[in-house]
Amino acid sequence: MPDDSLTLEEIRRMAAEIGMTRLTEEQLQQLLRATRTARARRTALPMANLGPADEPAHVFRLEDTL
Amino acid sequence: MTELAWLTVAEAAELLRSRKLSPVEYAKALIDRVERHDGRLNAFLRFTPELALEDARRAEAEIARGAWRGPFHGVPYGLKDIVDYAGLPTTAHSKILRENVATADAAVTQKMRAAGGVFMGKLSTHEFAIGGPSFDLPWPPARNPWNRDHFCGGSSSGAGAATAAGFVPAAIGTDTGGSVRNPASMCGVAGMKPTYGLVSRRGVFPLAYSLDHVGPLTRTVRDNALMLDLIAGHDPLDPGSAAHAAGGYSDQLELGVKGLRIGVIRHFYARDMEADVEVTAGIEMAMRKLAELGADVREIHTAPLADYLACNRTILTSEAFALHEKWMRERPQDYGALARGRLMAGAFVRAADYVNATRLRRKMADAFHALFSGIDVAVTASSMDPPCRIDDPKAIEYTYARQARAPFNVTGGPALSVPVGFSKEGLPLGMQIVGKPFSEALIYRVANAYERATDWVKRYPTLA
Repeated sequence: MPDDSLTLEEIRRMAAEIGMTRLTEEQLQQLLRATRTARARRTALPMANLGPADEPAHVFRLEDTL
Repeated sequence: MTELAWLTVAEAAELLRSRKLSPVEYAKALIDRVERHDGRLNAFLRFTPELALEDARRAEAEIARGAWRGPFHGVPYGLKDIVDYAGLPTTAHSKILRENVATADAAVTQKMRAAGGVFMGKLSTHEFAIGGPSFDLPWPPARNPWNRDHFCGGSSSGAGAATAAGFVPAAIGTDTGGSVRNPASMCGVAGMKPTYGLVSRRGVFPLAYSLDHVGPLTRTVRDNALMLDLIAGHDPLDPGSAAHAAGGYSDQLELGVKGLRIGVIRHFYARDMEADVEVTAGIEMAMRKLAELGADVREIHTAPLADYLACNRTILTSEAFALHEKWMRERPQDYGALARGRLMAGAFVRAADYVNATRLRRKMADAFHALFSGIDVAVTASSMDPPCRIDDPKAIEYTYARQARAPFNVTGGPALSVPVGFSKEGLPLGMQIVGKPFSEALIYRVANAYERATDWVKRYPTLA
């Protein structure tokens, strides 16, 4: 379920902080819905079995070129 | 001879090689078909008949002097319009990249051109491979050849539609959360998301760096294997490219499934999400067919579908927003509404959540691939629903998320969508055959056995 606690005024401030100042009211509403959905997704990540040694799947790697 | 529009790559190759078919005659037949019908399907965003004829004439001259290059020599193909073709715009179906002319070929384009393929044009996509089907973009969305009022899937929508419509026998698509396999399922063709890193992404406009894959869409499994044979291989200029031997994907096609162990991930479509009854029936019938052919079919279990989807979406939206942030600041009005909304979901994902999703990804991939000590391949649903109407935004939104494709972008292993029948409305249904990393040949073997035991690929849409 989306996190409904985030308000339009909060999202307007957050958007301005990262330079997204050209959004229309309709686009701010869109950002609000998208951010609520993304926050809900955070709680859906199955974190319980993750231990300190569980490292990310890296794309970055170094070649032995020396 | 089969009508030229429905020739497979393998059939066409034999006719072209033996000079029973002229590449120019073949190209002209498909050009004529596109000109007659694509006004109602919009599979092509940029149709290039002049380039096709140029390629076809060159192929004809080369074959005539005995310089046949292989199965794609003189064979028409299309590229999803996020794949670079030097000298043509790569628009990503977006106003933002309308004037973005590619200065070099993508790695896959280089391979198709070196093989003597006949380039027919750039194919429609969802905007930036994420926002569609949209009606507020400079170009209309592709439609389903089986019924143009219905969605053809995406984001490789033009690739699916063009292949199913007989405009080309093969097309290149891309897949970050299911975008090769979705149109494959909805258009009734074969679509492979190969192992991460097996096909170079150089020259392909990114959606999410760690989840993006390039893959083939074709009408038959054999053609799909032939195309992967051509486009797979290590590319040191792609940072995610796998230093792994490639090729031989069509070598095992005729070995059948007798004795192979096939795991069914039924909980994805029966418990985690409840698939439409026709989709479920199609998959279950396919399982019975594979068992009749001698496979040992058994149920297996992995993490819940929701876990995979949360992981995929967290990574995808974070990486995609990082790429789009500048344009979101400067020209948000130039996106279509669907792409803007889906990309915005990455704006405020916490860094810790992104990193944790990538940690989970590795753990989930390891656990999933461990299942393959007891099975050879696995099978599950692709879309949970038949193609909905393209003019029904609520149905599009509802069905968009009801899929079991994203798990295999998370695990990175290969996943092939193949047709398993048609709904009562005559719309295609699909399922996925998936495997451990670099097991594409085995997946094609199973898919080919199933395809030969059914007649789904012998049905063609009637274009009004």
